[in-house]
Amino acid sequence: MTGIGWGVRSLGRHPLRTALSLAGIAVAAAMLLDMVMLSGGLEKSFGDLLLARGYQIRLTPRGTLPFDTEATLDGASRVVAALRRDPAIEAAGAVLGTALYGRSADSLVGLFGYGVDPTAQGLYQVTSGADLTPGDTAGVLLAGPVARLLGVGPGDSVTLIGRLDPQVAMAAVGRRFVVRGVVHWLYDHRGQLSVGAVLPVMQRLARADAADRASLVVIKARDDGAVGSLAARLRREFPELEVSSVADLVAHFKLRLVYFRQLSYILGSMSLIVAVLLIATLLTITVHERLGEIVTLRAIGVSRGTVIRQVLAEGAALTGAGGAIGIGLGLLTARYLDAILTGFPGLPAAFSFFVPRAGTLGTAAAVLFLTGSLAGLYPAWLAARSPIAETLRAEAT
Amino acid sequence: MRIAIAVRGLAALGWTLCVAGFASAQLPGIAVERGLAADLGLGIGDTVRFGTAPDSLRRLAVVSAIYQPRPDPAEISKRQRHVRMHLPDLAAALGAPDRVDRFGVGLRPGLAAESAAAVLRSNAFGYQVHSTRAIASESSQTFLVISRFHRAIAIITIVAGAVFLLCIMLLKVEERRLDAAVMRFIGVRRRTMFGALLLEAALVAVVGSVVGTGMALMAGAATNAYYRRFFDTALTFSHITPRIVIFSVALSLGLGLVAGSLAAWRLVRTRPMVLWGRQ
Amino acid sequence: MTPPLLQAADLRKDYPMNGETVHALRGVSLRIDPGEYVAIVGPSGSGKSTLLQLLGGIDTPSGGTVELQGTRLDALSDGDLTRLRLTRFGFVFQRFHLLPVLTARENVELPMAEAGMPRGERRARARELLAYVGLEGRTDYRITQLSGGEMQRVAIARALANRPAVLLADEPTGELDMTTGRQILHLFRRLHADGATLVVVTHDERLAAEAGRVVHMLDGAILDRCS
Repeated sequence: MTGIGWGVRSLGRHPLRTALSLAGIAVAAAMLLDMVMLSGGLEKSFGDLLLARGYQIRLTPRGTLPFDTEATLDGASRVVAALRRDPAIEAAGAVLGTALYGRSADSLVGLFGYGVDPTAQGLYQVTSGADLTPGDTAGVLLAGPVARLLGVGPGDSVTLIGRLDPQVAMAAVGRRFVVRGVVHWLYDHRGQLSVGAVLPVMQRLARADAADRASLVVIKARDDGAVGSLAARLRREFPELEVSSVADLVAHFKLRLVYFRQLSYILGSMSLIVAVLLIATLLTITVHERLGEIVTLRAIGVSRGTVIRQVLAEGAALTGAGGAIGIGLGLLTARYLDAILTGFPGLPAAFSFFVPRAGTLGTAAAVLFLTGSLAGLYPAWLAARSPIAETLRAEAT
Repeated sequence: MRIAIAVRGLAALGWTLCVAGFASAQLPGIAVERGLAADLGLGIGDTVRFGTAPDSLRRLAVVSAIYQPRPDPAEISKRQRHVRMHLPDLAAALGAPDRVDRFGVGLRPGLAAESAAAVLRSNAFGYQVHSTRAIASESSQTFLVISRFHRAIAIITIVAGAVFLLCIMLLKVEERRLDAAVMRFIGVRRRTMFGALLLEAALVAVVGSVVGTGMALMAGAATNAYYRRFFDTALTFSHITPRIVIFSVALSLGLGLVAGSLAAWRLVRTRPMVLWGRQ
Repeated sequence: MTPPLLQAADLRKDYPMNGETVHALRGVSLRIDPGEYVAIVGPSGSGKSTLLQLLGGIDTPSGGTVELQGTRLDALSDGDLTRLRLTRFGFVFQRFHLLPVLTARENVELPMAEAGMPRGERRARARELLAYVGLEGRTDYRITQLSGGEMQRVAIARALANRPAVLLADEPTGELDMTTGRQILHLFRRLHADGATLVVVTHDERLAAEAGRVVHMLDGAILDRCS
């Protein structure tokens, strides 16, 4: 090893050329980075969202996914009671989702209502005020947008209407509530107008109390490592229900968004190919230009190995520098692309398509660096194998 | 209200219920979508059980039609299966004989949908009224997002391609610096050299555009074939229109000419002795 | 009689060009003794540079042998031959062929670094060599900042880096003007006076006149021989 680093320093001979190459590699690296983030980001984001409150299993009507349809399960209290008797289960609670209205001045506002068990809920985090208590039939929790729309806060009153009676043009089921707190609903999309009350209250509003209906039951297992076996056991115990662990839900979700995963693989591969082509082309041309110098070095005794190492080092330097710029660029473009994709209607606001994870980013960077460096193999081979005398003769003419 | 209907083919249950012609005439008819019929091995005249819960499949119906659902992009990722029944039969099964989710309203020719909707909205307490156009616009938001995403990817790809193109053009033109020096020495004008290089860049851009268009058509066909099979649908996923081709060719020609111009300009503005390497 | 430093026996070199075979050398034999200053002269195409390249192990002959201090070059592997060129030969080319991205000192250090000399030692020697060739004030200048004559002197310093047994120069003044060429001439004279063995291919009569022996070549053969 010469320790002089003439290969890397050759990049400074043509600053514009090197700058353009770095720009090209940076854009390719940014795209690769983004696609890596996209490929694994969907599952990571969704999985994190599902586990935000630590509930690992959901029970829904057979053949459905949570809040995917309007189907409900009957006898929610019975199911929850049975689950709470299970020693492997730390907490279980039923949730009902329903459409209702809120009164704002003299107009009605469409809202989404959650009926919850405050002692076992995986849906919200209190941001101001207080949470509901288990027997609180007069209290309600509001999402921030609802509080702003209705102009109310903790301690104020609101009227919620479960059903409208067109015959008499008035509310069929309506009640006045006290706002206990403003909460962040974890699965709401941006601007969603959600309210929450204890489950029996919401069932009454939705006229679902007779059959004790709920949209789903959330379960927190005591042992994270035993979630799979618990889910399998619950499937046997409740054959009329759909039992979904977080892993099951993520798998469903992956299937629905398979297009993005496939797109990320295709675009990521193309980015890698573009970067490799650019580096290989640049190095091949610059080696060709400097062939006289290189064979002279061979003539004065520099070994083939040194020549190869220097050319590879040049490729590695290009890849490293371009890749470093690409990381910053990639993070910026990821934010831009994420802002576009999170505009999907109905998507939880907390969801993200582009999720940087140290492991996969490190792998992507390593793959880029390795392939970019190896892109210099052909030009390095050219440089090392050029016949000295013949090249010197050609240079002299 | 959409309910989850569990439909079990009798073959899947392992036993068949053969209903005589007289009895089948009294059973309600059910139309099954093609994919579901294939999954359950159903044919016209087969009798099926259905119900509103997995443990209450008590009602019978006869498959009176198998239909190919209209391709709906909003539905393909959900992989749900659908059946159709006469409204009274479904309402009876749900135990709500006079209940529906929505009404569809057809207007007499000449009436504006939006004004009719406004009238209904003001008069029908407890109802929400939407024109079909508004629903279509709302439900196509998903695809607008995807379109914007594709456009953003396209922009990034074009930027990367443009940088790559400029870099390669610079390299290729600089490779011929000695030739360019000799040309200048023997009296060839800058304008002539510039024109020659630009023509070369244009030719490369044209050939590249043609090849690229061919590749795009092939890739589009492959994309459609793959996703149609994957999602079992007749939807078109990639649609290359003449407008898209014209835009792409114009853009690639433009980028090629710009890159070629920049590279050529750099070469012709350099003094011949510098090109020759003597200064 | 002292053994020769460099000896070529019946050297032949043929290579294809435009579909024909060019006989660049037709059975050339030459002996170089330690401390000799030999000039090889002749018209263009006479095979001078080809002979020099074969003597230095840069090219392989179609026939005949070259020995350096008894070691046959054709018996060596590519790696050993490369090593030999690094440590036993010093080359000076007509077009200098220095690396423009390096300074004068770094260009001189390059062969020493390749030979594994520690950094401190090779830096000191590079400065010493540059001072020897009269460039002590130009040590950290980039090559592009030097004149033609200065570049050639750097090239000579580089050739001396690993204390070669013989210095081979191919038209060292070919790219230089008269005045600058004279500087190189003085340098070669000084090298020879200090005991270096020089083999110089040249059209420059002044360089040839400095040599202790002039070998004339024509059409791939030596016109006058020295035993």
